Amino acid sequence: MHIPDSYLSPQTTVVMGAAMLPVWGAAVKKVKNNLTTKFVPLMAIGAVFSFVIMMFNIPIPDGTTAHAVGGGLLAIILGPWAACICISISLAIQALFFGDGGILAFGANCFNIAFILPFFAYYTYRLIAGNSEITSSRRWIGGLIGGYVGINMAALCTAVEFGVQPLLFHTANGAPLYAPYPLGLSVPAMAFAHLLIAGPVEGILTALVIRHFQASNPSLLNIMGNAGPVSVYRKLWWALGVLILLSPLGLLANGTAWGEWGLDEIEKMIGFIPHGMQNFSDKWHALMPDYGLPGLDNTLGQSAAVYVLAAIVGTALITGVTLLFGKLARSKNAG
Amino acid sequence: MAVPEWLLVPQEQISPNASIKTSFLKNRLRKVSFIDKTLEELTTVVRDEIFSEAIAGRDGLLQKINPAAKVVSIFILICVACLIRHIIPLLILNIWLLLLAYISSIPLSAFIKRVWLVVPLFTGIIVFPSIFNFIQPGTPLLSLFHFSQRIHFGPWVFPSVLAITSQGVWGAVILILRAGACISLAALLTYTTPWQSVLKALQKVFVPQIFVSVLEMSYRYIYLFLQSASEIFTARRSRSLGHTSTKEQRSFVSGAIGSLWSKAINLSKEIHAAMISRGYTGRPDTITNFRIRTLDWLWILFIVTVSALLIGGDRIFA
Repeated sequence: MHIPDSYLSPQTTVVMGAAMLPVWGAAVKKVKNNLTTKFVPLMAIGAVFSFVIMMFNIPIPDGTTAHAVGGGLLAIILGPWAACICISISLAIQALFFGDGGILAFGANCFNIAFILPFFAYYTYRLIAGNSEITSSRRWIGGLIGGYVGINMAALCTAVEFGVQPLLFHTANGAPLYAPYPLGLSVPAMAFAHLLIAGPVEGILTALVIRHFQASNPSLLNIMGNAGPVSVYRKLWWALGVLILLSPLGLLANGTAWGEWGLDEIEKMIGFIPHGMQNFSDKWHALMPDYGLPGLDNTLGQSAAVYVLAAIVGTALITGVTLLFGKLARSKNAG
Repeated sequence: MAVPEWLLVPQEQISPNASIKTSFLKNRLRKVSFIDKTLEELTTVVRDEIFSEAIAGRDGLLQKINPAAKVVSIFILICVACLIRHIIPLLILNIWLLLLAYISSIPLSAFIKRVWLVVPLFTGIIVFPSIFNFIQPGTPLLSLFHFSQRIHFGPWVFPSVLAITSQGVWGAVILILRAGACISLAALLTYTTPWQSVLKALQKVFVPQIFVSVLEMSYRYIYLFLQSASEIFTARRSRSLGHTSTKEQRSFVSGAIGSLWSKAINLSKEIHAAMISRGYTGRPDTITNFRIRTLDWLWILFIVTVSALLIGGDRIFA
């Protein structure tokens, strides 16, 4: 489920990253208040744990194996806010050091795997487990369903992020610029894989580990103390529900992609062209009058030749300067 | 005494090293037990890390650039790669990245293997269906099949000609090239920068201290936990004979995860105690002795120029 770079448009990744900022802020504040000096070591080890269990192969009935995320499990044993931090850190390590999941797509990956997954898993678990005994079977049933729901919600978000790409970003003749499948294809495809395979794997794994703890060391299920009753978060749920309902509507609206308006569109929208933009646009044109050399008319053949020439000169310049840097760096070292 | 029947059944894997050396693809084709697969993945992480640390210590261009400047420039270039919309600028970018890898003393074979063997395989499989007009309508480039009539399949109706569309191919090529550029950039960063420097650079650039401290500690302990995990799996492997049921295997994995977690919790308590006894108050102080030199400023300037050229060229080529 890790989205690599290049599948999402930069605009989408910026929006997803911006959505994660308040979540991270709230998570650090909430968890740090509870843990104080324990924060860094516990979160670090939680992140390591999350990293390592993502690599475990889980045998599935047809004889092959699948990977689980373990996000639901982490949310159940550490609480959703702490799980959000741990999984985010683990995703950062994967993106930065192991090339697994994009660097630009980090915000989107965190939104799906470190936010949606643990929160849905945790509250489903709480709803089912309630205030039951720590050894009650309601606990592992809650884990089973929580893990299943969590990963499927995360998959749904991923599919929607993929699915809006061809809708929002395509060339004039309809060729997709990023992930090519529209919502009508990406959602069923992701749903199929996750409802049938990844979801059950995640759910069963969560349930089995909870049962393991119930049998061997029940105190591990209650490290953070009991969280408050679910009703406290009812407002949050309402807000989240409204957001989820609204977001597809906004995405289906006609028009240019948000933030990609031309100057005339901006004028239509806000009644005038911001002075700075007008200025910038003029200067840009002045700097490169349509990429042609002055004195040539813009016949097709000539302008094509000029473009090719410009490209060759540009490329040669870049190569030359790169080699120069290589020399510079080496001589500095020698000196 | 008769030999028990299960001992006569040939085993899935016997030789201790064979499975570790087999490639990813071979593993997919041959059924390898989940223990071997997990063990292989765990060792690959360590092997890759040792490999990149060795390259990071070499003498090359990117190794000389200040890590903060490098992180910023890689980030800028990934944005550029994602903004480019045409094949030629993307090709130029990719070739230039190969050149960068070369003058940074990264073995080109390893670099190309990591980028251009993985990307076309992975991204290629994902985008492959989108080049057909059954999935996405478009201008036909090459007609493959003519059916006598439109095909009705449940709620879907397909046109009577199966064709490869120009939009589909164009989109697929762009996506593969762009994915290649992004993976190359990430590889350039990891190959040429020791992880401590990446973390310090992050702190210098835009990431809050609290995240960097957690990240730093996590990264330190990953290898310990990889070792613990592979010990659990090796122990299991050396004790298994014959076949086990999927149910039994799953309960082993969940048991492994459970015991890893109790280890983790105990370790975090010990680390916390060690930190407190050394005077930790919740506000870590780190020593950063980064110097941004003229070379780094020049480098950033160069990267910005390259970005402007690529994006400008891309927009005008349209």
